[in-house]
Amino acid sequence: MRLLPYAAVVVLLCASATIAQTPDLAQRQAEAAAALAERQEEETVLAEGEGRSEVFGYCTACHNTALIRRSAFTRERWDELMDWMAEKHGMNPLEGEFRDTIVDYLARHYGPLTRGPRGGNPFLN
Amino acid sequence: MAHQNPSERSVQELYRDDPERADALVWGRRGALQGAALAAMGAALGGSIPFARNMPSGLVPAALAQGANQPQFLQMEGKAPLILQGERPLNAETPEHLLDDPVTPADKFFIRNNGSVPDTVADARAWKIRIDGEVNTPLELTIAELEQRFEIVTRKLQMECGGNGRSGFSPQAAGNQWGNGAISNAEWTGVRLRDVLRAAGVKDGAKFTGQHGADSHLSAQGPAISRGMRIEKAMDEDTLICFRMNGAAIPQMHGAPARLIVPGWPGSLSQKWFTRLEVLNKPHTGRGMGGTSYRIPVRPIVPGSRNNGADFVDMESMPVRSVLSSHAHGTRLPAGTRSLDIRGHAWAGDLSVRDVHVSTDFGQSWQAMQVAAPPNRHAWQRWQGRIALPSDGYYEIWYRATDSNGRMQPHVAANWNPQGYGANPISRVAILIG
Repeated sequence: MRLLPYAAVVVLLCASATIAQTPDLAQRQAEAAAALAERQEEETVLAEGEGRSEVFGYCTACHNTALIRRSAFTRERWDELMDWMAEKHGMNPLEGEFRDTIVDYLARHYGPLTRGPRGGNPFLN
Repeated sequence: MAHQNPSERSVQELYRDDPERADALVWGRRGALQGAALAAMGAALGGSIPFARNMPSGLVPAALAQGANQPQFLQMEGKAPLILQGERPLNAETPEHLLDDPVTPADKFFIRNNGSVPDTVADARAWKIRIDGEVNTPLELTIAELEQRFEIVTRKLQMECGGNGRSGFSPQAAGNQWGNGAISNAEWTGVRLRDVLRAAGVKDGAKFTGQHGADSHLSAQGPAISRGMRIEKAMDEDTLICFRMNGAAIPQMHGAPARLIVPGWPGSLSQKWFTRLEVLNKPHTGRGMGGTSYRIPVRPIVPGSRNNGADFVDMESMPVRSVLSSHAHGTRLPAGTRSLDIRGHAWAGDLSVRDVHVSTDFGQSWQAMQVAAPPNRHAWQRWQGRIALPSDGYYEIWYRATDSNGRMQPHVAANWNPQGYGANPISRVAILIG
């Protein structure tokens, strides 16, 4: 029984040692994540076309282009996302011609990959 | 599929650009691959297709379904080459074949961020966590104080992104296009949230929580995310305030020095860099609550249609899902291989997994695998078994788990919603013999 307190101390010391070993890696990972986030992108990573500069400039204020490049939405869904980003993520609301420029570009170059083998959902036409 | 040849590109392009024509060209009247088309698809895949006659019409082989855009991989010290979903915010998925460990090591733990990764803190034990709102005695405790005052527990807990499986939806839903790999099953050490809540004294009528963390939104305005849950889940024995993962300090990427772990429910509830929990008498209204965020339709909606989510409900226990971890998608095996020992993991939110079945003939026949009991509630379960392969050629291993209520993974993602939650269709891994 008298050994128990010592065992507890040893366990605590081991735990502290484990914790003490990692701050360097933790710091390096945090810095690596920041470096990834700050990595400058070229506008040409997006498809060429009218509106690309506007899209690149406006959208990458918050996120990088991976979110655009992985997307494949209809014009209506892109338009809906503009409202969602304004309502939920503090984006300055997009309006008028500028909104059309952005949404038209996204729908033209990052539209649905396929309408499916039977021409899309009959309830959407 | 390591190199691309002209016929591979042409089949992929055909399906991508004109699926109707692709179907007409590739599939015959009786739903079987025809002469030259069968040879072309076989050449594209690098081998013959032993169960070609069973392939449903319009089904793109799994090896082609990846598309022309090959994934990019994360390169970071202390992390395996995870599939990079995006750099800002930083998100990366664990390939299924790296999910073979019973306890997910830190390097193979998927990365999900809504905002920026905060800087490290010098003194982790002085990190403070506040419990306030509808409680008799608001508390502010350091990690050291939590360790002293409450029982310390260690549990293996599965925790996955609420959007895991999203890429299964058609048409595409908004968000990271996860496969099945936004899942983890680490060994977490901490104190039960319910013990801390009882110490604070939850007032009658308090029904919800609101969680807060130290990460900021990418716009630098406000918090990255702040979600909440029903008080019943907060009082579950497995909902923990954690300060160790796999016996070591929690990695910075995964929420050091303290993280809430809410196993089996959307991972966004498992607040990283955890600082505060409010007890509330009405649902939380933080960023990531309401609308279509982490919410799913009660009455199914037309896939691709517009909806503000007002009639949706919060996603709670995650649906049943499985991974195959013994063989990577695209594994090539020696000619003459006639059987294969395969294994993986399966889990089902707050439930457990009753069965895992596997098919190698495009779903015509299914074979039961052995499924081990979880080491504790909310841990994932190992499944394994041996499959027969009657000849050389191209095969797809389809694997399907069934939860303890008898609900199985569907053939295609069900209950489409704009932000893509709850997709858990049967997965497919392509292998080539010879």
